[in-house]
Amino acid sequence: MAFPDLGAILKGMSVTLREMLTPPVTIEYPKVKKPVAARFRGRHELKRHDNGLEKCIGCSLCAAACPTDAIYVEPAEQTDAARYSPGERYAKRYEINLLRCIYCGFCEEACPTGAIVLEHQYELSYYDRRSAIITKEGLLVQPPAPELNTPRALRDPGNLYSAIPPIKGGVEE
Amino acid sequence: MPQVTIDNKKVEVPNGTLIVEAAKKVGVEIPVFCYHPKLQPVGMCRMCLVEVGTPKRGKDGQIELDANGAPAIAWMPKLQTACTTVVSDGMTVRTDTAQVADARRAIVEFLLTSHPLDCPICDKGGECPLQNLTMAYGPGQSRFPVESKFHNAKRVPLGDLIMLDRERCIQCSRCVRFQDEIADDHVLGFAARGRGLEIVTLSDPPFDSKFSGNTIDICPVGALTSRDFRLSARVWEVRDYPSVCAHCSVGCNILIGERDHAIKRIVPRENASVNEIWTCDKGRFVHHFTVAPDRLTTPLVRKNGNLEPATWNEALDLVASRFKEIKWHDPNAIGGLAGDRASNEDLYLFQKLFRQVIGSNNLDHRVGWSVTNTGADSVRVYGAGVGTNLGALDQNVTALVFGADPEEEQPVIRLRLKRSARTFGANLIVANGRVTKLAKYAKQSLVYQYGAEAYFLLGLIRAILDERLENRDFIATRVQNFDAFATSLEPYTVERCAEICHVKPEKIRDAARQIAQSPNFLILYGREAMFAQQNDVAVARALAALLLITGHLGRANNGLVALYPHNNSTGAIDFGVLPDGGVGRTRVERRGLSAREMLGRSNERPSMRALYVMACDPAADGNFVKPEFLVVQDLFLTETARLADVVLPAQSFAERDGTFTNTERRAQLFRAALKPIGEAKPDWWIIAEIAKRLVSGLQFQVSGSQVSGNLKPETWNYATASAVMDEIAATVSLYKGMTYAALAENVKLPRPRSGQGNPSEQPTEIAMGELENISSGKVWASVAESDARAKFELVWSEPSRPLTADSRPLTLAVARSLYDGGTLVSKTQIVQARVPAPFVEINSQDAEQLGIADGARVRVSFDMRVIELDARVDGHVPPDAVLIPNNLDGTAALPMGARVKIEKV
Ligand code: SF4
Ligand code: SF4
Ligand code: SF4
Ligand code: SF4
Ligand code: FES
Repeated sequence: MAFPDLGAILKGMSVTLREMLTPPVTIEYPKVKKPVAARFRGRHELKRHDNGLEKCIGCSLCAAACPTDAIYVEPAEQTDAARYSPGERYAKRYEINLLRCIYCGFCEEACPTGAIVLEHQYELSYYDRRSAIITKEGLLVQPPAPELNTPRALRDPGNLYSAIPPIKGGVEE
Repeated sequence: MPQVTIDNKKVEVPNGTLIVEAAKKVGVEIPVFCYHPKLQPVGMCRMCLVEVGTPKRGKDGQIELDANGAPAIAWMPKLQTACTTVVSDGMTVRTDTAQVADARRAIVEFLLTSHPLDCPICDKGGECPLQNLTMAYGPGQSRFPVESKFHNAKRVPLGDLIMLDRERCIQCSRCVRFQDEIADDHVLGFAARGRGLEIVTLSDPPFDSKFSGNTIDICPVGALTSRDFRLSARVWEVRDYPSVCAHCSVGCNILIGERDHAIKRIVPRENASVNEIWTCDKGRFVHHFTVAPDRLTTPLVRKNGNLEPATWNEALDLVASRFKEIKWHDPNAIGGLAGDRASNEDLYLFQKLFRQVIGSNNLDHRVGWSVTNTGADSVRVYGAGVGTNLGALDQNVTALVFGADPEEEQPVIRLRLKRSARTFGANLIVANGRVTKLAKYAKQSLVYQYGAEAYFLLGLIRAILDERLENRDFIATRVQNFDAFATSLEPYTVERCAEICHVKPEKIRDAARQIAQSPNFLILYGREAMFAQQNDVAVARALAALLLITGHLGRANNGLVALYPHNNSTGAIDFGVLPDGGVGRTRVERRGLSAREMLGRSNERPSMRALYVMACDPAADGNFVKPEFLVVQDLFLTETARLADVVLPAQSFAERDGTFTNTERRAQLFRAALKPIGEAKPDWWIIAEIAKRLVSGLQFQVSGSQVSGNLKPETWNYATASAVMDEIAATVSLYKGMTYAALAENVKLPRPRSGQGNPSEQPTEIAMGELENISSGKVWASVAESDARAKFELVWSEPSRPLTADSRPLTLAVARSLYDGGTLVSKTQIVQARVPAPFVEINSQDAEQLGIADGARVRVSFDMRVIELDARVDGHVPPDAVLIPNNLDGTAALPMGARVKIEKV
């Protein structure tokens, strides 16, 4: 009968003791949340300009770029009496099926106005499939001030020309 | 034929070919903006610049050779526009050099200096030649600062249908040239010059043309957009389904653009034999009825006096059991009225149900004031030869357009006849009781007196015989009864006829000479001539005689074309929805009752116990008495449907497959684009279901005796519309072989768009009509064509009016306007402004006599009816006639040819 290898036991115990004293890497998730990386791709948001107008102009380029066909846009014509966004077109309906989305960020890249941005919200679970379809109300961020909400009457013909914000010096290098 | 070398590829092309067209032949693409193959070249955009050289010639005129022994080329010092330069023999063209690439890049950059590039919100984005050519030939970058872009008005309505974006316009003038050259409505123009150059509309109301929508298609940028489609979807999101316009008898080929189960837009589909690449605005914009909220969505059954929703089984069982019961007493107490808007499949089965299951010949499609549809036999025998293209008649063709107003009733035929006359030099003779728009293109425009049509035609025949211009060989071998005919014609001298029909004898003689001496002769007769034929059989006989004595039949560009009012009038006649005509334009032995006879007059007891009314609205014309049992099958709760016992919801043409046969006898296939509205079913399905129920009951009744083939329910099992057409193609000789597969041949499918398919296989400039001339659909052959030895009989009939010139009281002429107060038009908001206010047109002579000024309110009385209208005084109607457009506010079901009294209010 051989003696137990005391050296090995001590070595093992030392790992155990050391780990007992180091702080844990896991977190108590629902109570504690870890910040995500700046470029994390979570649930989308539809952004607004500083004046509260929606950046989205309803051009459907995000939907065209989406590899999973997760985005549905129904555009419509707007008037100055009820303005949503600069230009003549706005998104009357904007829906994303979050079950289909693979969070690739192509929509973000295709958007000519920077309206759709994959933000940091990652808590995405649903009791049924329907509620996985997020509509424009859910996607649109709050206006900077309540009176800057859309739609609102706006007499600014300049808005017709600025649907797509100009990129300095013509096309991007 | 000159031979040219383009990028080292040799090609021989006809004299007068432009370099762009020659280049297409060898597969070299020359980018263009202002050039369009259907329009005259103008060389405005300079996008098509290429290097051009011609063989160098020495002093002696001989072609000089270079060191290799090939002809030396003298290159032109500057680039030339390929769209205006005509090829010459030995010409050499280079499109692949750095100089050409530079020029293209510069032109694109230059165009973009004042272009907003708002492609993401532009309706053209995705099918925009400017976008495509910029990607293919433009610079990646502009040297002009974006802030210095020129801005201009962005939302300028050009009328109710079209929106102009002045910033996007590249001043190519395609729209102006389309209006001037193709539509011949000179309503667009350029104003100012230089940077201030703008498209303006010159007409009031703005952009007053029935073809304005076509400028949207040919505008190479998003400057002209449809106010209907505008900003409602991106072009790559709408799915295109090949279809056929269901509004008039031209049968323009269209693509229905569907998204979210609604029609977003309709664009023309190319068919060189029908509509080239155009449609009229009605075809393009009047589609909202397909998804109108008041469409019928479930069957309705009358319970306790009210129409209440029911299931299909309930409704169909009720119809079948009532039909069965009435049939038991007397099959001839059941009548069927089917509108000529229904498809061939529907009409065929409708007729089959009546003739083979119910056993009644009481069938008609001529419901409603405008549907006279005469001349079924003449068209069967003398119909214009297969291969006749109304848009390409040349100087060897004389066409008599008789009693028709294509501008309002078959707009695209007006467009095509204009092209034939102006571009190819066809000789049009336009004869009507009034001056129509088509008269402008006629070598001769003749205005006869309404009611004296027969005399006008007899005058023409007599003039031909007087000058011995008849085709004696043809008469000797193929025509019977010529001598008797000539004898009967004896008292009808040209002078007498001229006096009665109010056309000068010299003019009749002149027209007769042209008709007889022309190598080819076509007669197109329209609705007004059909009314005349209905009142006077001599008119139809004289039309046939005109063709027979000149021998102009049985070949392309010869014979008779009937211009019918509706999209499938021809089909309704072909499939025997007539009391006396059977399937395939045969005759039935035992004539049934016509619509007029079935409907009877008000206050009379209806002669039918049961009526099956499909796709028409007899009650709208008034005087309708409900029979004991009334079944109505329609899209809407029409006036007739309101009275019905059972209402069956049918599908519109956009929800189902089917075929229509157009006015030139061309059967064309249309495909379903939308999902059905509610529980609506296709007409053919409903008819077959009723038949199956009737038949299964009848089998018991005749049990023991032989059950005939058509009384077996299995013979009514059609899974699809194409199964019905298969049966037609197999059993109806006129439609032999016209299965869906055959009708789908050559159908030009949707234009490829950016983002669809393989980009490397797509042409960068996709303008319709550029690539090839496509023709689809099938025309059945008339007797004169299919039987080269057929004999024809000249039949004389006395004109119903006596041979004396009397001064007639005022006669009512009824016109139709393209946009009227009909159900389908009323569902499209944006065309409402184009529906004219009702008016009555009076000749200035009559107006003076009656003391009526232009614009005055007058009271018009006829046939125990009195209506009040505004008077228009001008020269379109001859003396003794007054003209009222039908089916506007308060002018429904006017009796053509009635005597009228007019007085000032
Ligand atoms: S992130 Fe990717 S998959 Fe998700 S919506 Fe955007 S494009 Fe589509
Ligand atoms: S016209 Fe063409 S290039 Fe111009 S904004 Fe529209 S899509 Fe873009
Ligand atoms: S509106 Fe369109 S078709 Fe007309 S000139 Fe401008 S770019 Fe050309
Ligand atoms: S001409 Fe007739 S068939 Fe053609 S689009 Fe117009 S209504 Fe339709
Ligand atoms: S100049 Fe040739 S296409 Fe415009």
